[in-house]
Amino acid sequence: MPPFLFQDTFKLNGEDSMLKYFAFRVMQIPLVLLIISFLIFILVYIAGDPVAMMLSADASPQEIQQFREALGFDRPFHVQFGHYIMNVIIGDFGASYQYGVSALSLVLDRLPATIELATASMIIAIAIAIPLGVISAVRPNTLIDSIATGLSAIGKAVPNFWLGIMLILIFAVNLKVMPVSGTGSWKHIVLPAITLGTAMSAEITRLVRSNMIEILQQDYIRTAKSKGQKSLVIIFKHAFRNSLVPVITITLLQMASLVGGSFITEMIFSWPGVGQLIIQAVYEKDLPIIQAAVFVTAIIILLMNLLTDILYRVLDPRIKYN
Amino acid sequence: MNKRNLFYTFMLSTILLISACATTSTGSNEVSVGSEKVLNISVGPDLMTWDIHDHITTTTETIHVNVFDYLLMRDSEGDIQPHLAKDWKQVDDLTFEFELNEGVKFHNGDDLTSDDVKFTLERVAQDNKLRSHGDYKTIKEVKVIDDLNFQIITSEPDPMLLSRISRQASGILPKEYIEENGWDHFKESPIGSGPYKFVEWKRDNRVVLEKNDDYFKDIELDWDQVVFRAIPEESTRVAELLTDSIDIVANVPPNDWDRVNGSENSMIVNGPSNRTYMIFLRAQEGWPTSDVRVRQAFDYAIDDKALVESTLNGGGTPTLTRINPGNLGVDEALFGEYNYDVEKAKTLLAEAGFADGLTIELAGPTGRYLKDREVLQLVAGMLEEVGVTTNMNLQKWGPFVELREQQKHKDGYLIALGSSFFDAGQSLEYYKTERAESINGYSNPEVDQLLEEAELSLDQELRMKNYQQVQKIVAEELPILPLFQVDQFYGVNKKVELTPRLDELLYIPDIKRK
Repeated sequence: MPPFLFQDTFKLNGEDSMLKYFAFRVMQIPLVLLIISFLIFILVYIAGDPVAMMLSADASPQEIQQFREALGFDRPFHVQFGHYIMNVIIGDFGASYQYGVSALSLVLDRLPATIELATASMIIAIAIAIPLGVISAVRPNTLIDSIATGLSAIGKAVPNFWLGIMLILIFAVNLKVMPVSGTGSWKHIVLPAITLGTAMSAEITRLVRSNMIEILQQDYIRTAKSKGQKSLVIIFKHAFRNSLVPVITITLLQMASLVGGSFITEMIFSWPGVGQLIIQAVYEKDLPIIQAAVFVTAIIILLMNLLTDILYRVLDPRIKYN
Repeated sequence: MNKRNLFYTFMLSTILLISACATTSTGSNEVSVGSEKVLNISVGPDLMTWDIHDHITTTTETIHVNVFDYLLMRDSEGDIQPHLAKDWKQVDDLTFEFELNEGVKFHNGDDLTSDDVKFTLERVAQDNKLRSHGDYKTIKEVKVIDDLNFQIITSEPDPMLLSRISRQASGILPKEYIEENGWDHFKESPIGSGPYKFVEWKRDNRVVLEKNDDYFKDIELDWDQVVFRAIPEESTRVAELLTDSIDIVANVPPNDWDRVNGSENSMIVNGPSNRTYMIFLRAQEGWPTSDVRVRQAFDYAIDDKALVESTLNGGGTPTLTRINPGNLGVDEALFGEYNYDVEKAKTLLAEAGFADGLTIELAGPTGRYLKDREVLQLVAGMLEEVGVTTNMNLQKWGPFVELREQQKHKDGYLIALGSSFFDAGQSLEYYKTERAESINGYSNPEVDQLLEEAELSLDQELRMKNYQQVQKIVAEELPILPLFQVDQFYGVNKKVELTPRLDELLYIPDIKRK
């Protein structure tokens, strides 16, 4: 099931009710963002201010204190929070402590690279998962099924950092057919996309398989078979298409989480995305970047959730919001 | 439109939108890797900023130093040489007068004059929100005499002034260009007067510089273009070196040295840095280490040579002082030496009342310095040998800095500090009562007196004598245990000739093509 919020509290029917439902969902977004902002501020505040890290290890306590005062980190919690939240409301996350430029623009600059990697990974994941899932569902409990499910278990179990480094060693260092890291050509995206896509494909394979197995046992499939339909038509036209609904849900939600940054993969392949930026910002307690990045990511995830809901409804008209 | 069509239209537009975003991100940053006159470097992280006064990292300075010129510059041995300034003299206790080289031009063709020097130095000396402010705040004013002559006036006698202006954040900025276009523009399209010009910066990806054909110095530049790639992951940097995509990579971890040296095209090049691994110990009452005999026992228990051999394959030098050769005031007799005598350590502990052993906690950062965690683990093992049980409190850099600043650590901590001033005056300040109060509580009036006398004296002979005296005293009293000076390790393509500089910068004019 898709992750509906307040699903049970809304008993509406028909097209009109759907619109109202989505309008309500959209209206929730600012509230959710405000709560997220508050939580992040508290967490970063508890973690301590970044001033000592911003100066050299040789800086004296007096210098650190003077710098703290100059940047306003000595102000009481409520003053800092008030100042911060007023700026967030007007979309100003402030300048990054590390880089001295607008945190939001830093995040938005890196977003395309992250979306690009997420899309490529998803394409790879789907290209692996759907054939594997379908084959293993059509021939359940056979050798081919065991291989497919075995592969997906391995795909899920292998850690990203290990797979990434292995791919670099094999394809870049030994075979020299792929670049090691960075961006610049289509080749640069292949290894990071495989690294990320493998784990995702494992999940999708299992989902396709279980859905297909369930659907292949439905009455309408039996009817189609008894009508003498070709098995390929039954598998792809009747069974596969109907098994897609939850697959699309999971795929979109995974895509959303990828947009939040694939920290490890981006680090290993020096991919200039949001993940690298966030991880550095967390180390340096760079609140404006953390805030802007989480904010942007949260918006994307919320919108993806909403999109999933809409698609669900479009793909399967039987689903009612009640 | 029926629902199915609506769905397909929607999916198609989403895909198109995503592809459009994707193309803009990485469309045109192909660099001619492999071309003979392009030097590809990765020092790890990306450039922080083009604001030379608002960062504290060597990895950023290593890019800045090629675009902006300092007034004076240290050579690879650490000696101060003329650079933008061809001559200088001390006028009185508070005033130094400099003369600039003629014909120095910024990359946009503007002349570099005394006005630019005044603009640059007064900015960092006065704006307390800049990260480098603390290092320049002794500068009270820059007095312009004419286009090529100026005076730097300090608020108190500043014997470290020449060191101050020949190091990180000492580049001279173009006043007119910045005033006309604003700082934001400058930070996106910086110009300096250095041997290399800014071409582009793709964040978290690369900085590209090209040769400045109009450079004021008559030197041969071997590289037409220099690319600094941001590759934070060590193993990826090494893989880039092994595939010949990068010519120089910094901070190669010891476990990769054999792989690099075993490859056809690359090798490890190492040389001393100005960084020393040391353990700060509490000297305040209430801690076992407040007894000087306990601190001395630790010194005798730790085999500095073995630390260097087993963690860094010998890439470092044991030492009894934090001041390294190449720094003003070094006591060379203490460098290269170490104390190691397990029996003596045990005796000292017994004399201090710890014959049955004791338990301490040492903190330390992980992932900040080469093999930092392993060094601390070995130290703990060595202390165990003399009956000292060591609990380790290993932290990432952020929490560690906080622990240190707020004095939340217990008996001591490991840290590796450099000294960008190349002057004992900076490094020995830790032993002054006033400063040590917020570190480890060490206090010795004789040390205070020697340091204070040297601090405001422009007599370099006297300063050297005092600093050497202080080093002798603290090598006995050991509020800080110096362990070893660490080397820097670069993986270098064999077509490149690199001699590591003591200040850890990669100054491209010194890097030659074989």
